[in-house]
Amino acid sequence: MNYTLLVLIKIIVLFAWLMIFALYATLAERKVSAVIQDRHGANRAKILGISSFGIFQPFADALKMLFKEDYIPPFTDKFMFKFAPVITFFFSALVIIAIPFGEPVKIGKEIIKLQVIDPDIALLLIFALSSMSIYGIILGGWSSNNKYSFLGGMRATSQIVSYEVALILSIIGLIMVYPSLRLSEIVNYQSTLLWGWIPKWGILLQPLAFIIFIIAAIAETKRAPFDLPESESEIIGFFLEYSGIRFGVYMLTDFVETIMLSLIITTLFFGGWNIPYLFSGLKLSNGTIFSGFVFPWGKQLAISINWVSILQIIAFQIKTVIVFVFLLLVRWTFPRLRFDQLMELGWKSLIPLALFNIVVTAIIIAIV
Amino acid sequence: MKEFKREDREVKLFVGPQHPGVTGNMSFEITLEGDTLTSVKTHVGYLHRAFEKLMERRLYIQNFPLVCRICVPESDTNEENYARALEELAGIEVPERAKWIRTLVLELSRLQMFIRWMGGIAGTMGLSTAPQWAIGDRDYILDLFEELTGGRIYHIYILPGGVRRDIPEGFEERVLKVMDYIEKKLPDYDDLIFENSVFKKRLIGLSKLDPAWVEEIGVTGPVARACGFPFDVRKEQPYEIYDKLDFDIITETGCDMYSMALVRRREIDLSINLIRQIIDKMPKGEVWTPLPNVLYWKIPAGETYVKTEATRGEFGYYVVTDGSDKPRRIHVRGVSTPHAYTLLERLVPGMNISDFSVTIVGLQTCPPEIER
Repeated sequence: MNYTLLVLIKIIVLFAWLMIFALYATLAERKVSAVIQDRHGANRAKILGISSFGIFQPFADALKMLFKEDYIPPFTDKFMFKFAPVITFFFSALVIIAIPFGEPVKIGKEIIKLQVIDPDIALLLIFALSSMSIYGIILGGWSSNNKYSFLGGMRATSQIVSYEVALILSIIGLIMVYPSLRLSEIVNYQSTLLWGWIPKWGILLQPLAFIIFIIAAIAETKRAPFDLPESESEIIGFFLEYSGIRFGVYMLTDFVETIMLSLIITTLFFGGWNIPYLFSGLKLSNGTIFSGFVFPWGKQLAISINWVSILQIIAFQIKTVIVFVFLLLVRWTFPRLRFDQLMELGWKSLIPLALFNIVVTAIIIAIV
Repeated sequence: MKEFKREDREVKLFVGPQHPGVTGNMSFEITLEGDTLTSVKTHVGYLHRAFEKLMERRLYIQNFPLVCRICVPESDTNEENYARALEELAGIEVPERAKWIRTLVLELSRLQMFIRWMGGIAGTMGLSTAPQWAIGDRDYILDLFEELTGGRIYHIYILPGGVRRDIPEGFEERVLKVMDYIEKKLPDYDDLIFENSVFKKRLIGLSKLDPAWVEEIGVTGPVARACGFPFDVRKEQPYEIYDKLDFDIITETGCDMYSMALVRRREIDLSINLIRQIIDKMPKGEVWTPLPNVLYWKIPAGETYVKTEATRGEFGYYVVTDGSDKPRRIHVRGVSTPHAYTLLERLVPGMNISDFSVTIVGLQTCPPEIER
């Protein structure tokens, strides 16, 4: 098949997947928070009298955002004001191109990788892209010509720049363990077994790196307890002057960033598409090619290769959703830190811990 | 090149009255240097109904719907205080049972105010779970009020000479049931708020005030008690039937925001305890000494000052009468006045902007009683 056409199809499918996930992420956030807070949550949006747990709510929200007045305050930098949400959204959504959603599948003679691009620097690429998105935030805060939103933009910048350091340092431990920076190879490596029975998932090989990574990454996505750039009870936030769909884009970006974070955590720490002990195309000792479960106690369960691919894709989605819901639970359980405490946590705790993790990893690698 | 002076680095910000971190009806003019506050100026007047002046041209009984608007969430303190001042001046004897019912209403009102405050302080710190719980649990107490008085927020239940009507049948059991429920929920609040590491990290040491200020400025209530001063009108000058109840004054020694929060948390336990005691010991009898025709009710000339312990501190009414059917002068001692003006101005310099709204809510200011 034509390579360009294939990439185009993948992009369209992925974008649709992302938008639907992001829309329903807003509903998930409302529902999860409702459960935590002893409420019912959104359940009033109806089509033909059917509301069924508010499944139409995201569309109602989106329509509302679209039809609101798009007000641009005077004395703003008009171009930057309009452009800033787009930058944030674009760069945070772009991360998805490097994420592998499943093992390469064979359709006819064609082997199709379930990711748009598979560069050998993918690990660096995703973090480079996601850190680009802060330009949109600082420009949005600055061009609004409002002191509150300016403060928000400044906070966002210093917070994200500080936590980027801890984030990347925690990744170095992973890079030392994994054989490649290519995400598909990272997942392949995690599919192998340690001592014949433990899956080599990142969370098991690098537990400390996982803790540092998840804290730093929540700070990167500006969600509570690190939502200082938008802390609505203090400075209202960098998108204070935005209204209508531009505000909607900022809100959606918040969820897109969280989804990206869930995808990255799943890929790096939870074995991506891997289901433990499920193999496809395993060469057995008698020369036959086997796909299915091979348990450590010797039992085998054969499954056709198509079903293996489908199971793996579903497993990836389920893992992502579980990580996403975990992030929501964190959001609704902790109050916000003060800014100096945030900086203290980043520079004085997370970065030394990440360095310690690197040293320990290096020693273990040298010994083993 | 232009040389920058210190003043050039300062930014002036107007916080409120439409700011989500402010309790409403009140705005602040703050000066920022970077992220740090250097000074604050309080502006009230967004609710200038001129309560005190308005009361001078109304009949005594007509003032009851007005006084409960001075601090909306805790209206009973105002009603009780005003009614008690009139009783003192007119020489009306209140039946024993009415006093017990009044105390019950006051304690219920205090309890709902503290529960609401627990939600408020967590809400300003970005934890919106606690406000949702708190508002939900407070509703059970408001339901009790609705059953007892007919109103949820504005009760107009306490009148000179007693209370408007006796408590309904089976009301005591329902109160006890709600108390049991709230007591069951409190450990959850402890886990979520008072034991939360981030909450402690932010509140310990925040807005630490000098104990000398307490007497200098006239700070009362939980703020003073957090500094170790045993100021509690309920114990110092027992009004209604507080002298017949068994309780101790709650004090903490930290003198910071966390101690204030702990004082309020322990006050919740105390209120539940007091409500149980009241229901246990409540006598039978009349609840109202009939007044003369209230439209022509004249009170002999005199003046008095009565005070109560509101949730925020000492709350007082100074009433002067001249023998006519309208009060000559009424002055309300709002608790929030020293808190939101002088104390806030002293606390603010050097504070991070993040802590500003926490401080306002933590001092539990109620704007209408400043601008009365």
